[in-house]
Parts: sequence; C-alpha cells; structure tokens
Amino acid sequence: MDAQRPRWQPLQRIRRLLQRNADPNLARIKRRKALYALIGRRIAVLRLSLFFAGYIWMLAIPSSQLDRGVYFDENAMQPAQVNTYWSWKEVHDADRFLDQLELLRDSNATSEQRSQFIANEFRKIGLAASTQSYEFTGVNKGINGSNAYAILSSPRISGVEAMVISASWISRTNEGDGTLNLRGVATVLALSKFLKQYSLWAKDLVFIISDGYMDGMQAFLSAYHGQTQSNLRAQALELTSGVIWTALNIDYPGHSLSHLGIFHEGPNGRLPNQDLLNSFQHIARRTGVPVVLYDHRDDLEYLHWLPENIRNHREIRTYFTQARNLWRHIGYQASGRGSGVHGLFHQYRIDAFTMFALPAAGPHGFHSLGRIIESTLRTTNNLLERLHASFFFYILTNSDRFVKIGNYLPSAILISVAMMFGGLQVWVEAAWAKGPQEEAKTPGAAPMTWVKRRRPILEVLFIMVFTHLFGAMVFFIMSSETYSYFQLAPFLLFLAAYALPLTIPAITPQKRSEAIAPLSLVLKAFNLCLSSTVISIITVLNFSLAACLAVALGIPLSTASSSSTKAVQMVKYSTYVVLGLGWILLRGFAERMIWNWDVLSAWLLPFLCIVYFPLTLQVALVCII
Amino acid sequence: MLWTAILLSSLTFVLGQTEEFQEKLSIKSLRDGRVASSFSFSILLRDASPRDPRFLAFDDDDSHHYTLFPLTLGQILRQYAVTELHLTLNAGKWNYDAWGYPDESGVGVGAELRAWMAEGGPSSIDDRWRGLRNALAGLFCASLGSLDEQRTTSPALSFPPDGYLPDWGLPHELRHASYASEHVCTENLTPFLKLLPCKSLSGLATLLNPHRLFDADWHGIGLHVLWHPEGVEVRLNVQLVSDPIRISSSRKQDWSFKTLFDRKVQKPCPVAKSSLVVVNLPSSGIYRVDPEPSFIKDGKAYYDLTNSPGSWNIKTVWPGDFEYPFSDSTPLVPFSVRRKLLSSAQDTGKLSIVVTNNQEEQLDLLYLETMPWIIQFYLHTARVYSDENLISNISYTLPVPHARPGTFESVLTLPGRSTLTFAMDVQKAFLRYTEHPPDAQRGWDLPPAVFTPLAHNGSTKQMRQFYTPSLLVDLATPDFSMPYNVIMFTCSVVAFIFGSVFNVLTRKFVIVRLEANGQK
Repeated sequence: MDAQRPRWQPLQRIRRLLQRNADPNLARIKRRKALYALIGRRIAVLRLSLFFAGYIWMLAIPSSQLDRGVYFDENAMQPAQVNTYWSWKEVHDADRFLDQLELLRDSNATSEQRSQFIANEFRKIGLAASTQSYEFTGVNKGINGSNAYAILSSPRISGVEAMVISASWISRTNEGDGTLNLRGVATVLALSKFLKQYSLWAKDLVFIISDGYMDGMQAFLSAYHGQTQSNLRAQALELTSGVIWTALNIDYPGHSLSHLGIFHEGPNGRLPNQDLLNSFQHIARRTGVPVVLYDHRDDLEYLHWLPENIRNHREIRTYFTQARNLWRHIGYQASGRGSGVHGLFHQYRIDAFTMFALPAAGPHGFHSLGRIIESTLRTTNNLLERLHASFFFYILTNSDRFVKIGNYLPSAILISVAMMFGGLQVWVEAAWAKGPQEEAKTPGAAPMTWVKRRRPILEVLFIMVFTHLFGAMVFFIMSSETYSYFQLAPFLLFLAAYALPLTIPAITPQKRSEAIAPLSLVLKAFNLCLSSTVISIITVLNFSLAACLAVALGIPLSTASSSSTKAVQMVKYSTYVVLGLGWILLRGFAERMIWNWDVLSAWLLPFLCIVYFPLTLQVALVCII
Repeated sequence: MLWTAILLSSLTFVLGQTEEFQEKLSIKSLRDGRVASSFSFSILLRDASPRDPRFLAFDDDDSHHYTLFPLTLGQILRQYAVTELHLTLNAGKWNYDAWGYPDESGVGVGAELRAWMAEGGPSSIDDRWRGLRNALAGLFCASLGSLDEQRTTSPALSFPPDGYLPDWGLPHELRHASYASEHVCTENLTPFLKLLPCKSLSGLATLLNPHRLFDADWHGIGLHVLWHPEGVEVRLNVQLVSDPIRISSSRKQDWSFKTLFDRKVQKPCPVAKSSLVVVNLPSSGIYRVDPEPSFIKDGKAYYDLTNSPGSWNIKTVWPGDFEYPFSDSTPLVPFSVRRKLLSSAQDTGKLSIVVTNNQEEQLDLLYLETMPWIIQFYLHTARVYSDENLISNISYTLPVPHARPGTFESVLTLPGRSTLTFAMDVQKAFLRYTEHPPDAQRGWDLPPAVFTPLAHNGSTKQMRQFYTPSLLVDLATPDFSMPYNVIMFTCSVVAFIFGSVFNVLTRKFVIVRLEANGQK
C-alpha cells in the first residue's frame, strides 16, 4: 500500500481540488492573493518582457507573417466589371489640352489666367464652371492662388451625391517641390469632356483643378463645406453640388508612366476606406498597369551590402520591401500632414486617394490612365451608400497586402502596459519607507519593517499642470506671427524652455520628513501612468504617432531616476529636455510643422508642444527634484 | 329643399355633362443645347363640381359615368371628396438658370402630393388624406404611402389653390407632402397612360416612349385636378429635358420626334377636341423647321394635328455644330437660389440659402421649408447677411420628434441686383435603432425648399413656385456591421480590465476567520 502511495498522490490532489468542502470564496481570495504576490515579485521581469515583446512585435509588422492579401468587402462596388469606352480619341483630346497647358506654362501665366483658361475650357465642353480665388493670411502670408472647378450635373438624378476628380497644379513629386502636374490637369479636362457623354452617372461629378500643392484644395474644400479658417480668405463658391462621397486625385508629372502609386494617408492619422484602394489596384492590374505603394519601385538598392543569397531570399526581400513601405507610412501618418492633396478630403469624411503616375519612359500613358480612372469611377458610381464596410484601420504593407488592426495595435499597447505597470509599481513604492530596524531579538534574519508614508499628490498634480501650461505657452509662441520673423527665435525659445523649469526645485520644499514620500517618486509614477494612457489612446487615432511615442518615451521614461550628484542630475535633465524639445532647433522640420498647423490644421505641432514636451519635462524634473 | 338641389345637381352631373379632351405638346430648344418638351393632356368634365364631404355619409354617389374622364381617378376623387389635387413625380434637377421656368411649375425632385379638401362630414380631412395617399399609391405604383404624418404639412401661403374652391360654407384646408427619395420610372408611366382616353395608341401620347422618356436629363409626370366654374378639369402632363447632343453623339442640337422619342405620331386620337404641337422658335441663328407649320405667332410655330392623318415627324435642323455659350450668361429666371446644408458633423449643421435677385426691381419671395423632424432648426441662430432686415412674416411650426415635420415660412425681401444669404443652425436628430433605413449609411433625403415670388400686392395667385434641389443629410449612424461588434466587444474587455485593476488598487483582500457562533 505504501509503495503505491506516490503514484496516487496526483490523483488525490485533483480530487482534493474538486472537493468543495472548502469555502470557494476563501479559495478564490487565496488564489488571487497568490497571483498578485507573484505579479508583485516578478514585476521587473514582467515589465521587461512586455517591453521586449512590444518592440519585437513592432519590428515584426512588416514581415509577411502578420499581413494578408486584400479583399473586397463592399459587394456593390463590382470593380473591373464594365467595358470602358475611353479610347485614342480621348487621348488625342488630352494631348491637345496638354499642348495648351504647356503654352500657359511657357508664357508664365498667373494663377488667375490659368484658372480662367481652365474654367473656359470646361465651359466649352458644356459644363457649369467657375473659379475661386483664395489667400492665406497670418504666418504664411503670401500663399494665394485661384482654383478652377466644374460641375457635371448628371442626368436623371437629384444631385445630392457627388464624386470628385481632382488634380493639383503642382505635383506631389518630393512633397510638392514645384514640378507641374500638367498631364494630371490635362487628364481631368479630357475626362470631363468624355464623361459628359454618358447618362449612367448616379452621382454628380465635380472636377477640380486646385492651385498650388495642398493650399488650393484646402481653400476649395473649406468653402465647399462652409468651414471657416481664421487665416484663410477664400471666395465663396458660385456652384455647388451634393455631398461628396469619394474623390480621386490624379498626379501625373512625368512624360509617361510605368507604375501607378497609391498615396492614401490623410491628416491626423485618418485613412480612407480600404475598399476604395482595393478596387483601384484591382482595376489597374486588370488594365495591365502595375500598382505599387507610394513611388517605390521594387528595387532594394540600399541592401547591396548584404550577401547576394541573403538579399534575394524571398522572405527577406519581402520584409525589407514592406519595411520601407511601413517606414514611409509612419512618416506620413505621424506627421499629421498626410501624403498629399487627397488627405484634405478625409477631413470631411470623404474617401480619397492619389493615383501617382510614376515618371518613366513608358510604356503607359493617357490611354491606360484614362481607362483606369473611368473604370474606378464606374465602381464608385455603383455605391448606394457611403463606403462603410471593409477597413478604416489598417496598415498597407504593399499595394495588395495589409496588416489588420489586431496584428499591429498590440505592439504599442504592450509597451504602454509595461509603462503603466512601471507607474503603478513606483506608486506603491512611494507609499512605503524602510522603518527603523527593530532590534534583533533573535539573531540572523532580522525582519525588515515598512512604514507607511504620505504621498504628496497635490504638489505633483500642480507641477504636471504647470508643465502642460508651459507647453501650451511654447505652442502659442511658436504659432504666433512674430516667431517666424526672428532667426534666433527657436534658439531663444529652447533656452527659455530649458532654463525656466529649473526654478521648480527651488520653490519645492527640499527637506522633507520621512513620513512624506519624495516628490520625484510620485511625479514619476504619475508621469508613467499618464504617458501610458496617452499612448494607448493615440494607438487608435494615429497608430504611427503612438508607435513613435512608444519608442521615444517607453524606455527613457521608465529608467528616469534622481541622482545624488548635481552634475549627473543636470546631464539627465538636459538629455530629457533635448529629447522633448530638441526638434524646435531643427529649422526645416519645425518650419514645416508650423506650416502644416497653420495651413492644414495638422495636430502634430500642438500635440508635441502640449502633450509630448510636458511629459518629457516632467521626467526631466524627476531627475532634479 | 337641399335634397332636391342635390338630386338636381347629380342629375345634371349624369346627364348633362359634356367631356372634352385636349392635348398639346410644346417643344423648346434651350440655351445649353438641350430640348425641353412638355406634354399636356387635359380632360374637362363640364359643369361638374367636386363632392361635398358632408355627402360622404350617403352612399348615393352615382356619378361614375364617364366617357373620357378617367374612371379610376374619378372614383378616388369622389371617394375622398377632394376639391383640388396635384401630384408630381420627377427625376433630375431642374436648372432654372439655364432652362428658365418650366411649363408646369411642379418640378421638385421625387414625389410631391398636395390636395385641398373641405372640412366637415363624417370623416376628417386627415382620414381622407390618408385614404387619398394610399389610393394614389395604388393607382400610380409609387411610394406615396411614405407621405405619412411625418411628412405632411399645411403651409399657409405657399400653395394657394390653382382653381376655385366651392362656396359650401366649409373651411378648406391644404395638405402637402413631398418625398425626395422617390424614383420615377416605367411602372409609374404605365398607369399614367391608362388614364388617357387614347392610352398611348394614338395622338401625341404615342411619343411617350419609356426608353427615351426615362433617359432624358430631366423628366417628370404630373397630375392636376382642379375646379373652376366651367367644370372639373384633370390635367395630365409629362415634361422632359433631353440632350440631343448626348443622344446623337454628334455636336449638333438638331432634334426631331424621331431622335427625341424614337417614334412619330402615326395617327390622331379620334376623341381629341384639339391636338396641338407648339415649337418655340429660336430667337436667333439660322435653322430650319420641318414640316411647314400651320401658322406662326409670337415666335412660336403651331402645328394642328387634330384629326389629321399621316405621320408627323416635326424637326428643327441647324446647319452647324452647337457651341456651348462661352461666357457666363445671365440666368433666365428673375432670381437664383443656392441651398446647402453645411458641415460634415453628424450632430449639428448649418442650413444656408443664397438668393440672388437678377432683376433691377425689388423682389418679395415667400420662402418655405418643410423639414422632416430629423432636422430641427435653431431659429435664434437665423442670420440674414445683408444690410437691412430683409426677412419678415416668419411662421414656424415646430417639429414633433417621430411624429410631425417642421414648417418654416417667411418672406424675404431682395432689393434689385442684390444677394441675400440666410443661414440657420440646425440640429440633426439621433435616431432610434429601428428607425434607420436599410441603406443607413446613405443618409436622408430632405425635401426641396419652395420659393414663391409675391406680386406687388402681396398675393401668391398666379405665381409660379420655384423648387430648389433636395439635400442629403448624414445622421449619426451606428455601423451595422462587423466593426461595430468589435468595438462593443473591445469596450467590454476594457471595462472588465478596468474593473479588475480598480479593484486591485482600491481594495484589499484579507481572510477573515469568523468564529463559529455557538454552532459546533
């Protein structure tokens, strides 16, 4: 019997577990206590593994394991199911329009002359056309221009819905470096003439030739939707149509095209419905034009340092191709500016993207482009409702592959959870202090005593509110008109922002009793919890920005600590302030951000000033208090 | 005494009635190369009068003996004692600036129904209005049943009776409803043609070819019943604006019966008292009208097709290609209106009306908005952007959520050559889950606003209504699809995690051993 005992022991244990003679509540509380004790003991390991998992996950997003092929969700769209009628006659029309536009370009025509010419061409086609002049005041004084637009009131319909076909005068090449989008404009003109011949449109068609790169469309759309922008004087529109559902923006700067690129990011992290992009890339492929994401042709020259057999491995090629796309995506989305003119439509709940004709010697041109646009318009024409199926949260890793929200969101969330755990841990630590060692009655293990102490919440909250107000002040200085006049302004602002918070340790009481927790601990706890909350909220609004924050704040904020020597304290303080506000010294970067805020209302500048910088400032203060 | 009068009147109605049928088609080439055609079929029931609602209690109405007058319609009119009735079903956006006023003023998009009825008798006006709606819905295969209480209004001034109201000593009331989402199509035309004495077999109605009618840029059918001392008149009309340049795919604006309707008039309608085609001749340019008209008067060519055998294919031919008017031409109507619902938010918006007076004289306009309750006006935010106070006589019937639309009526005064901007904040309703239509993400169509120019003595009589295009409004719509479920699920998980974390932070779990009190 005794010999058999060990064998039966596990079974008996199970039986004991199943027996319900013990109080179940008691058992639950016991289990819970044990779990929390475990978490408490292993918190350091847990945090480290969460950080590790988060960063690894982030690096894994471009891999082909996390993404999947695109598919259609909205069955009404029926892409590439129609015969297209665009033919060489229309190509000829487009060429004639192009000739006239080139004449305009060579004669250095003003904005007004240009828009008047385009509006007249629209009128000759038989469309209701008009122009709209606009002017920005304030910081970006001198941005002005004139848009031309036409409305095709489609037969038989009430005209309450509309689709937009637009082209900006300046192409998106190098983010609007001044290359003219003449062929894009010619395409729109030829399309307007061609599309008028059909009675099958179920929505009004609005053709817009916007002046400038982004500014013209911003002026047009704010006037169309009756939004007022304090620094914009835009003429009211003489002609209007219904609610715009979809918009296609055409960018064709080169002589011919080899690929069509998709640009889809909108301002402040908005994305168009994926069905629209899917339809376009499906149609383009059917027509025979290869589609790429952005203007990335499929050559990975920057990988030349890798050995050939590794470089040509399928998995690795895919990873690096997609990583490059992802990097570009993060840049566009996090900057809050979007990747082009189409983004401006997203502000008004219009799904839009830019089809960018990659300049090349061939083989495609107006003929393929026109057919693709015609077919895409027929597809959006099929919509009975706004695009609502499919995805609004996605990351395109390639033109035909995407990562679902569930596969990318957790990476940033894991990091924010790690930060939250760190904050809670510091919070708990702040509540306890080592008590005076009791006299060891028994030699050996003298039990450590812990004494509870008060946590100064009010002071810390005061400091935090101060930092955010301080950030708001920095923001107002940066967005004011005078800021851009002084060459030295960024430098002075940085110095002020660096020096002013140094007064805080002087006004906070230095010597505290043992019964009160040090300010720095509580501040760090709050700072970590707040940063974690900010990151997890931003993940759904603008994942790219959240990922950048997770990288920029995750480890640095968690490792902040006070130091005994003044010198080390100052070094730490300076590091954190540079991390938080160093960007204002990068002249080009800051200027572009101010422009984006002023003209396009991109939120990155206020966000950096009012949320991001104060968070780093708080942690900088942790080091010196 | 009264009884004899009724008996006598019904006798005269049965025996002494004479019925007349007249048809007319007028065709006009428009400035933008399009061609507007307007068919009008009118049937006059001489010396007849509408039914007095007090006699609805007596089932003695035996006046359903018609020869030309459509019986199905006559039954409906008498069953519900309707004095005056207007029904229009239109598709497209009438471009007043380029096309001028239409021959028949009812060009609001979708379905519009209005009726004048006398109060009194056994059933109330609202009961009869409901019955009328449903009967007409059945007759015309149209969604007129949707013109329910939530869309029915009674504007005080904008729609005066076109005919006369009988002096029965009873108050007459107007019921008006419009439904912008209604699409007019063949199923509405077929019952419409059945009301005509010759159907579409002969006469001008031959030309009503559904393939061409419903391909026109703008098309609409209308039914008007009105009473004047001569008798009860039913007018059925079809209007269309076709684009010969689009149809022919050449650049010419030439039109003929054959190109516009793909048919010719082969034989006359034998019961038609008159059958007339009127072609508005272009004011300038070289053109040829074929065949030679019967006579020309005031720049109009008249063709009398009454009882004339032979096939008619009237046409106008221009020698050269059509050139679109290059510069901005002046509008053909005394005033132009732009109406828009601004803002892309889902809870509030701004209704904006821009009215331009194209004349030198001052213009008084009666402005009517009949809004479903999903849009509620904030009247205190109403602003008129102009130097003077140019809005007066405001009357507003508040909407009742889920029950009654709002009616806003006022008079706008525009000095000569001026532009007036009227803007008002609106609130968009938050709908119940079940109130959303199947295509919830499309939005809601709002009926057109109606402008009526007032004569200098302030009367609206003989003034033509001006319909703005309809609007589409986005209301807060739940996503009735998968992401909606995902959001709900995620929220539940977050709430659960928050609860647990909150518990941990605020509560302390200890094991309390209770001494067994007295037991064991």
